[in-house]
Amino acid sequence: MKKIVLSTALCATLALAGEGGGSFDQSKFIPDISLIVDTSFVHRNVSNSDLDNNAPTSNYGNYGTFKEFNRDNGFNLNYGELALHSNVDQAFVLDAVFHFSAGSVEIEEAYFTTKTLPYRLQIKGGKFKSDFGRLNSHHHHTWDFVDAPLVYNGFLSPEGLNAPGVQLQWLAPTPWYMRVGFEAMQKGNGGTFANDFDKKDGEALYIGYLKNSFDIKDASVLLGVSYVNGLSNVKDADTSTQLYKGSSEIYGADLSVKNYFDSYSYISWQSEFLYRNMKSDDKLLFDDKKQSGYYTQLVYQMDESWKTGLRYEGFLQDSNGVKTTADASYKTSEFAQIRLQYSHDEAFKLRNENKAIDEIILQLTFTIGAHGAHSF
Amino acid sequence: MKKYIFTLLLPLTLFANLSVAVSYPYIGALTKVIGGDKVDTVVLAKGNWDPHFVVPKPSLITKIRDADALIMNGGQLEIGWLPPLIDRGANPKIAINAKTFLDLSQHVELLQKPLSVDRSGGDVHPDGNPHFHLDPNNILVLAGVIKEFLISIDSSNSAVYEKNYTEFSGMWNEKLGLWKVKMAQKRGVKIVQYHDVMAYFNHAYGLTSIATIEPLPGIPPSSKHTIELIELIKKENPCCILHDVYHSTKTAEFISEKSGIKVISMPHDIGALESIEDLVSLFDYLTSAIK
Repeated sequence: MKKIVLSTALCATLALAGEGGGSFDQSKFIPDISLIVDTSFVHRNVSNSDLDNNAPTSNYGNYGTFKEFNRDNGFNLNYGELALHSNVDQAFVLDAVFHFSAGSVEIEEAYFTTKTLPYRLQIKGGKFKSDFGRLNSHHHHTWDFVDAPLVYNGFLSPEGLNAPGVQLQWLAPTPWYMRVGFEAMQKGNGGTFANDFDKKDGEALYIGYLKNSFDIKDASVLLGVSYVNGLSNVKDADTSTQLYKGSSEIYGADLSVKNYFDSYSYISWQSEFLYRNMKSDDKLLFDDKKQSGYYTQLVYQMDESWKTGLRYEGFLQDSNGVKTTADASYKTSEFAQIRLQYSHDEAFKLRNENKAIDEIILQLTFTIGAHGAHSF
Repeated sequence: MKKYIFTLLLPLTLFANLSVAVSYPYIGALTKVIGGDKVDTVVLAKGNWDPHFVVPKPSLITKIRDADALIMNGGQLEIGWLPPLIDRGANPKIAINAKTFLDLSQHVELLQKPLSVDRSGGDVHPDGNPHFHLDPNNILVLAGVIKEFLISIDSSNSAVYEKNYTEFSGMWNEKLGLWKVKMAQKRGVKIVQYHDVMAYFNHAYGLTSIATIEPLPGIPPSSKHTIELIELIKKENPCCILHDVYHSTKTAEFISEKSGIKVISMPHDIGALESIEDLVSLFDYLTSAIK
């Protein structure tokens, strides 16, 4: 139903855009509209049912994992994402991202941002991706690899911290770049802070972060620390069995160095470390957990077309092993990318037995329409 | 007490310079010429890198954060990097449509405006070719636009801006005459480029650009197109390849080897080559480049 309403609305706007002239013509006010399509072919040495039938708490030691993209062995249509962007008026900008995947439509993001607040303040509200960490706010099609790091999947869910809420950011008047942000978000986004199907009763997530950046010649250094806390009320999706009940906090630290050689080529080194502290409400039922994970990656953009990357990641406690990923991508233009990725994942457990996953993904990503430039 | 603080602060605000952020070095130079010692300029892009592919580094947000005004080239030249900076700069003074925001492309006539756009035709600029500052006649127009802009936001110094503009236009008109004489015998000369950066320069002096090394705007060279281009060069006999400073000259050198055509490096902005220190040296160089 949602789908029909949305596509009707889209057709109506597009039809309107086609009409020229007329006394009440509003076609010039059409927002920036873009569509991103992501499709892939996957081959891995573990069957789909093996991945699906693992209880989320057992796959990566105590860390949950759910595959959001590239779920199936064989061909995947991961998503079609419709993004809209426009000024509302002199005071607000509105952004919305509609995520279409097989059998469902989701409002991935729909938020306003203020434009005219004094003292370098900005407020964002609606449903949006949190600015927690280095990677969380980045959309899938801008990632350096096909998949998110394991620690992001396990701690923050494959969708990342993305929920209805409000954000306040302040740009400090320091000689270097410094941004401070606070967010309050409705919990229930999977990962540490419970599942989507939970009832929400005002149990908010509180998020804070500090981001810094400065240049050394043609290298940009980014340094960030992040924090989130909230209740963990995790239930199994099918059986409603309580998997965890308590309160959790996650600390994050990130460091990136990106050195540009010219307008088209750079080498970048990016690392993140997340530490999670879960306190159980009832020690008889669930244990307290202290866990941490990391990833570190090296990406080399050779020219306008070719890019390659290497990522190394794992967990520090209850870890079975590390995951190594290598990828190479080619762009025919800014709007089309073909990527081949191989990964070897020793952190996986199948029915409590260690089982290394070898995975090859061939991914194609396309963008059409008016899509805004990405931030750094 | 309040009164004292006010009188203490007053001289500070009176003598505080207008801080103007600009996208490219040539705009910075013009703003400096017109603004004189009343204006501080902050240039965002480097002159020796591709103006289409400036990296929106966080350090640039720091540069526009406290600016009193923003002047950009426009014509979608900054589409890939300036919008995310403006979005994150949290500075209402540099918002599009603010009276302290200036889009220079709105004040000159753009060449090569496509009748229809489609991305199968490459990364085309729907508003036309945005490299209009390379027609030296446009520099005078832009200087006038910047003068009016500065007066509109800082009328107390209008006499200074008027005087600086008059001085600059006198000097520039003289130079225009010299460059015209220098380029007169080049009229009708055929050239090849990497990307059509020199369109306005060619227009001003009657040079004919017969082809580009990139098969489509923004698309890197392909072997098929390069071979066709070598054939075309042999047939049409253009004088030279006018090459920008930021793309690799690998393909141009290969073409040169196969066809004997000269490759000439053409700076597009101040700082593109070390010897290009101001607007006069930029056009002195460009008008002497074709021997």
